[in-house]
Amino acid sequence: MNGLSISTKKKLVIMGRSGAGKTSMRWLIFSNYTANDTRRLGATIDVEHSMVNFMGDLNLNIWDCGGQHKYLDNYLNEQRENIFGNVEVLIYVFDLETTNKESEYQLYDDCLRNLAVFSPTAKVYCLVHKMDKIPEPEQKELTVESYRRALAKRSEMFQPDVFGTSIWDHTLYRAWSRIVYKLVPNMEIIERHLSNFRRLSDATEVVLFERETFLVVCYTAADADVPLDKYMHISQGIKSYRNACVHVQSRFQSVEVSNKFYSMFIEPFTKSTYILVITTDPEVEPAVTKANITAARPHFSDLAR
Amino acid sequence: MNGYGQDGAGPTESGSPGYGSTDKLGEQLAERRVLFMGPPGSGKTSILSVVFEDTVAYDTLGMMPTQQQAAYQMVAGITIYDFPGIDYYSETQYNPPNPAIYEGDYTSLVFVIDSQGDFQNSLATLFSVIRTAQAVNPQLPINIFINKVDSLSEELKQDVHQDMQQQVWKTMRYENLNSAYVQFFLTTIFHDDIREALSRVVQRLVPNHSSLETILNSFCSKSSLDKVFLFDVTTKIYLAMDSSPTDPQIFRFAFETLKAMDDVSQLCIEYLPPSDDGMMSQKVTFDLEGSIRVFVYQVNSYLSLLCVGSTQVIRQKSLLEFNGSKVAKAIRQILPS
Repeated sequence: MNGLSISTKKKLVIMGRSGAGKTSMRWLIFSNYTANDTRRLGATIDVEHSMVNFMGDLNLNIWDCGGQHKYLDNYLNEQRENIFGNVEVLIYVFDLETTNKESEYQLYDDCLRNLAVFSPTAKVYCLVHKMDKIPEPEQKELTVESYRRALAKRSEMFQPDVFGTSIWDHTLYRAWSRIVYKLVPNMEIIERHLSNFRRLSDATEVVLFERETFLVVCYTAADADVPLDKYMHISQGIKSYRNACVHVQSRFQSVEVSNKFYSMFIEPFTKSTYILVITTDPEVEPAVTKANITAARPHFSDLAR
Repeated sequence: MNGYGQDGAGPTESGSPGYGSTDKLGEQLAERRVLFMGPPGSGKTSILSVVFEDTVAYDTLGMMPTQQQAAYQMVAGITIYDFPGIDYYSETQYNPPNPAIYEGDYTSLVFVIDSQGDFQNSLATLFSVIRTAQAVNPQLPINIFINKVDSLSEELKQDVHQDMQQQVWKTMRYENLNSAYVQFFLTTIFHDDIREALSRVVQRLVPNHSSLETILNSFCSKSSLDKVFLFDVTTKIYLAMDSSPTDPQIFRFAFETLKAMDDVSQLCIEYLPPSDDGMMSQKVTFDLEGSIRVFVYQVNSYLSLLCVGSTQVIRQKSLLEFNGSKVAKAIRQILPS
């Protein structure tokens, strides 16, 4: 794998009906917006392009497509090649509250048909958005499951991953973490080295976060069964704390927790990442862990380059 | 301090409906108490459930009217009582509480008024309460929470505040009531201001408050810190702070810091032994760009010191930790748990 040094640019298209929450989602993940702030957002006119530098060498070119009828018609006809060409990832956002499910599926089919023509290798993710409207957890699960079945039938070629999401809880972060996990080049190498780092420094859990979005890039734990969900509220928590730091005209940098039972660090790591390290071994002094993080920094910086 | 803790923070029903129960209320109530009163629907229970039970503010919208008096336990034996809404004009429903509840040096009244409701009605109720209360306890602190200001513009907020203040003072002067102990707060459950307002109410009831303040003052100056708070970690209400002038933003920031600390330590909850009393000598440091450092030092299972200072000062972290441990020890001795 000598693709390490090439800066990669990947096109990511966000599609869905008007008012589904595409733009809210983008602002929440890629800017420091809180869920409340997204009320301020207006309708997206045509396509909004944004370039996001993610993990240093990965540039995400995000196409946020306005969902009004006239634009959608336009995307599917005159502009189809422009919109659906060279797509790396298509994120289709379903509005849970839609009144017309049939036409929603219709549009989805149209999009996939075009995608099959212009970018047959693209990866498709479907987000069933506004899950907060359903109060009971079991009902949520059932709803996502029913979408998953319906969508699997409709899109055999792409086999989309379906996530239930909401801007009000961590589910959106989980979905996006999974999306970027697939996007980051040389992820296996990073993962392997991270796991080595955890072993060498006698840590219990190590998590790598992207610096700006605070999405979980990858993680490793002594207990192999630790679910990804465990770290989701950290992304959210740190981002809201970043907003709070504005009150004292500053920016969040790092945090360190230590007590009788464990010590934890969240620190800037490489140019594009943050690292979280938890140690539960009482023999390992916090200062040692800190020194280890510092020592590992240049190694991981080289890895990302 | 019985029953304080994760589950003790919730309300416990006390008193039973009917006429006979009010007679004994005065004796039943805790010595250090805050009485939450106000017209029905002004937001008393919403405020308390947001602060004490971590209810999401939006979830309080469909709350049922409080039928029975409820109690919320706080640190140092301070108890907050939530009374059913008082409607002055509907005599049929309203059964006034025993005036004895207003007695005592460590009693404080919070009267919640809906800033978008019927002012005249609320004020009439307020004055009827004040009249009864001052007859028994002329020095009772009266804290008026002008609630639900979230939807008002900054300008309108000030107008409502001034209007309310003037009306209250005018009537009190006219009726020869003592207005020296009246304070106004603009509050909303959608903002941390509510915790600050509550902190300022509760502070006066904290045992040995002046000694606590002296300790925090000397800690602050000896360690060259900018600001020191003593927080109740479950409710995130501060019981004392050093007496240097406070930037209004700093409280908000301190509160958010505690919230972030909760978020982060949530991750390690499985590493705590199940039979733990919560005292684990936890030290948390937040570093911010531009040389601001926040240091949170655990005092006991429900109290923490939060210190804000610049990086240069806190660079000598071990020294600060040493000072912190001494201050924590002093606080543990002063504040019975």
